[in-house]
Amino acid sequence: MTDLTDRYVWAAARTIPETQRAEFDRELRERIGDQIDALVDHGRPHADAERSVLHDLGDPAALAAGYVDRPLYLIGPKYFLTWWRLMKLMYTLVLPLAAGGVVLAQFLAGAEIGELIGGSVATVLAIAVHLGFWITLSFAVIERMPNTTLPKMWEVEMLPPLPDLHRTNRLGELITSLVFLSLLVVAIFWQQFGAVFRDGVREPIPVLDPALWSFWIPYFLVLIVLEMLFAVVVYARGWTWTWASVNVLLNVAFTVPALWLFLSGQLFDPAFLEAIQWPWGNAETERVLTAVFAATFIGIPVWDIVDGFLRAARARSAVAAPAAA
Amino acid sequence: MNTDEMTAGHIQELRRGTVVLACLIRLRTPDYGYALLESLNALGILVDANTLYPLLRRLEKQGLLTSEWNTDEARPRKFYRTSATGEQLADTLMTDWRRVDKALAGLTTGDES
Repeated sequence: MTDLTDRYVWAAARTIPETQRAEFDRELRERIGDQIDALVDHGRPHADAERSVLHDLGDPAALAAGYVDRPLYLIGPKYFLTWWRLMKLMYTLVLPLAAGGVVLAQFLAGAEIGELIGGSVATVLAIAVHLGFWITLSFAVIERMPNTTLPKMWEVEMLPPLPDLHRTNRLGELITSLVFLSLLVVAIFWQQFGAVFRDGVREPIPVLDPALWSFWIPYFLVLIVLEMLFAVVVYARGWTWTWASVNVLLNVAFTVPALWLFLSGQLFDPAFLEAIQWPWGNAETERVLTAVFAATFIGIPVWDIVDGFLRAARARSAVAAPAAA
Repeated sequence: MNTDEMTAGHIQELRRGTVVLACLIRLRTPDYGYALLESLNALGILVDANTLYPLLRRLEKQGLLTSEWNTDEARPRKFYRTSATGEQLADTLMTDWRRVDKALAGLTTGDES
């Protein structure tokens, strides 16, 4: 006789509510005893039979959970989809908004660039962890409360419209825009710490004139955020003439000041120009290069504006087509 | 999943409800878990201990079985007995089982003709 049965029964019974424990203890001992006896009757040594019976009973915690109908999952099928939808909403909408708020608050509080990035990353990470943890915990608690039902979470009216074929294509555009705009933001902050490397050592020479931080760089950052929102809206709604017009406004708001700053020589930090030994070559080369830069500054937004109208026109004819088919 | 596994799965599903019915009928005479297990298996109603013990507890909770501890022997044993509600359910299930059997029979002969 070993103490395995006692240990098994104890391990299972300790998770059972006090009031049911004595009954459970007795039932389990009867079951184990009878099953061991049956094996012993078939000629198995007692210790061997005991081990085999306990092995077949499985994890005592699982056995006890079955006894008191305790779920062996965190969130079951009844609430899983509600939880999942809420999590998606939190991480795609609430978290980015909160992140934007944190950056803005840090900026308004006059945080240094390094402090701004470091502080924001830490705060946003903390928000992300808290969101996930508390929502999941709430659902796990609701799952374990008897007789609770969340209001019905699905109705026929909630059926999504049939997929818009153009929307799938637009997802690629959306991702491209967001990645590009994010990189731009990162570049704006990154350049502040110097973009000139001499012998592999980063020199603290910003590319853009630090004086611009007083107004123009924040102005461009806000515009970039607006561009991001615009990209999301266009993804959700599709190109229309209205959106194409808004696109014109955004492009003008970005390009005109940028071009003006560039041409009036306020865009770049003089120390940076000196470090890269600008101007290269004679006055003629300088003029040509300036013209090339200016053309690029104008060309990209013009192309973007035209592209917006082309897409609006295409979307309109595409909407008409399936109706006719 | 291979065919054997699939067949076993379907057979298990088909038999699931019949174990309840068999318990309700067999426990018109009170008995304890292991004896019930043995007698059902001897009759060819194959059931696993890990299925039967939790099932007995569930049926008792639903009021379909009543129980009493027998402490006459060295090992105390819980004797289950079909309650009045259990009898009613057994009748209903039996009727339904016969109906399904008949329907399936009709379906098979209809197929052959």
